[in-house]
Amino acid sequence: MIATECGDSAACRALVESFLPAISNVARGFQGSRVERRELLQEGVAGLLFAARRYDSQLDTPFWAYASFWVRKAMQELVAELTRPVALSDRAARDLSHIRRARNESLQTDGREPTTAELSAATGLAPSHVESLRATDRMPRGLEDRLSADDASSPTVGATIIDSDAEQAYEKVLDDLEIHGVLGLTDELEERERAVVRSHYGLGQEAQTLREIGAGLGLTAERTRQIEAAALTKLRQALARPASIRRTAT
Amino acid sequence: MSSDGTALRHNAFVYETEDQYLARVVPFLQDGLQAGEGAIVAHTKPGLAMMREALGPDATRVTFVDVSWAYTRPARALAAYHEVYAQQLQKTPKLRAVADVQFGPDPGEWHLWTGYEAVFNRSFGHLPAWVLCSYNANGTPDSVIEGVWQTHPEVVDGDAWNASGLYEDPDRLLRRITPPPQELPDLRSLPVGRDLEQIRERLAPELIAAGLGEAKTLEMLLAATEIAANALQHGAGIEDVRVGRAHGRFVCEIVDRGPGFDDPTAGYLAPRAGVGSGLWVARQLTWRIEFFRSPRGFTTRIWL
Repeated sequence: MIATECGDSAACRALVESFLPAISNVARGFQGSRVERRELLQEGVAGLLFAARRYDSQLDTPFWAYASFWVRKAMQELVAELTRPVALSDRAARDLSHIRRARNESLQTDGREPTTAELSAATGLAPSHVESLRATDRMPRGLEDRLSADDASSPTVGATIIDSDAEQAYEKVLDDLEIHGVLGLTDELEERERAVVRSHYGLGQEAQTLREIGAGLGLTAERTRQIEAAALTKLRQALARPASIRRTAT
Repeated sequence: MSSDGTALRHNAFVYETEDQYLARVVPFLQDGLQAGEGAIVAHTKPGLAMMREALGPDATRVTFVDVSWAYTRPARALAAYHEVYAQQLQKTPKLRAVADVQFGPDPGEWHLWTGYEAVFNRSFGHLPAWVLCSYNANGTPDSVIEGVWQTHPEVVDGDAWNASGLYEDPDRLLRRITPPPQELPDLRSLPVGRDLEQIRERLAPELIAAGLGEAKTLEMLLAATEIAANALQHGAGIEDVRVGRAHGRFVCEIVDRGPGFDDPTAGYLAPRAGVGSGLWVARQLTWRIEFFRSPRGFTTRIWL
């Protein structure tokens, strides 16, 4: 657990793999909630990793007893968010009715989920309006739909469900975590600054002296030291930016 | 905010129903918007969805922050809020915020989050912000609710903003709830080194040998640098550096030769003019930091 909290992505994977059956069990309690199992598992994994980051091994509660609270809470909140009853105006309710009718006709004619663009064309409603009403209705989306209706470069729904295996649910969470773990803090640095810090302190490689690093970069040891000092200052400043307060005119 | 609107006003609101919640917080934010103040809602996903709907067209002028995963450690939660407030205060001269705190299932950690609420008063005391922390009375343990009255100078009760009769000075509360440091006999001394660079050079192999990842190793190096810099500048030099494992975590102690200090809010004050930010940085990067006097000298113990 502590290795997980410490940002070790391999430990995160091991943790998730060992608790995935337990997370699945929790998800079973939400069957019939109109939320896809894959979404529940994904949220459950996020809850587990949050618990690992927050858990203090000196507490009396065993880890899973602690983590299951956050896993269940994450799923409950997802269900509450996605199935929250939405009060629609009379006009919106009529529009939604048109969309449902167009969708049913398309399903009968083409045998597949219509895209937002097709529903927009069939109903005469703006694509963004169709999108938001479908969201309130939790209506399945077409495989060719973009995940973001306003962004033509965003991936399609179909591209995100290449593998419907439940285990895929946590891959994205872990990948995000891994990317964050590696880039996180040093993302603030330029490539050369990052290279100097990593080489000097042996992060992911053999540690080198500033002289050795400088020789590799064609710099003096003193110049390399300056680069490192600037990098550390930059990291510090990123974590300690004061709020700039605008004063009102009096 | 204070009565002249130049500093923090930190209030709490205990509610029992969603309707009660909305009836209080929606007008609270809308009044601020009308006065040209910024508005922030920090909540879990369903709470944000509820507020978006309730605010209607005003929602476009509100910053919504999902804090489902923000409350891992008090210092990190404070830093996350500080970033949001700092961004808002670049756009508006004042702000109002409603925040939902996540206490968790284990009574053993509730005091930690009560401490967070207490130190919030000092951490953001300089900001022109009016923050309303909301607590759902249903399912929130009595001891947590009691802590709400101890940590918020004003609590909303019915239609009135009442001064809390149980409000406790944050320093006093933090001293009361902070456990005394344990003796950690398994730590061992490292050669002290002549400067910050040498301290890092000697600490890094210890972290790597302990199996810590790159990111965490760098975080400890930065935190230790801040603590060691303080020891050199204010603590008359470094007497000892000790490292090892305790309760499954990597621990680094930096012992200095100075008289030390007794400030339970050290490292929790958000960056501002006249306040050093080294301990604020160190707390964000680590699990816990303790300051105490021991026979070895004034000790800063960093838990990763």
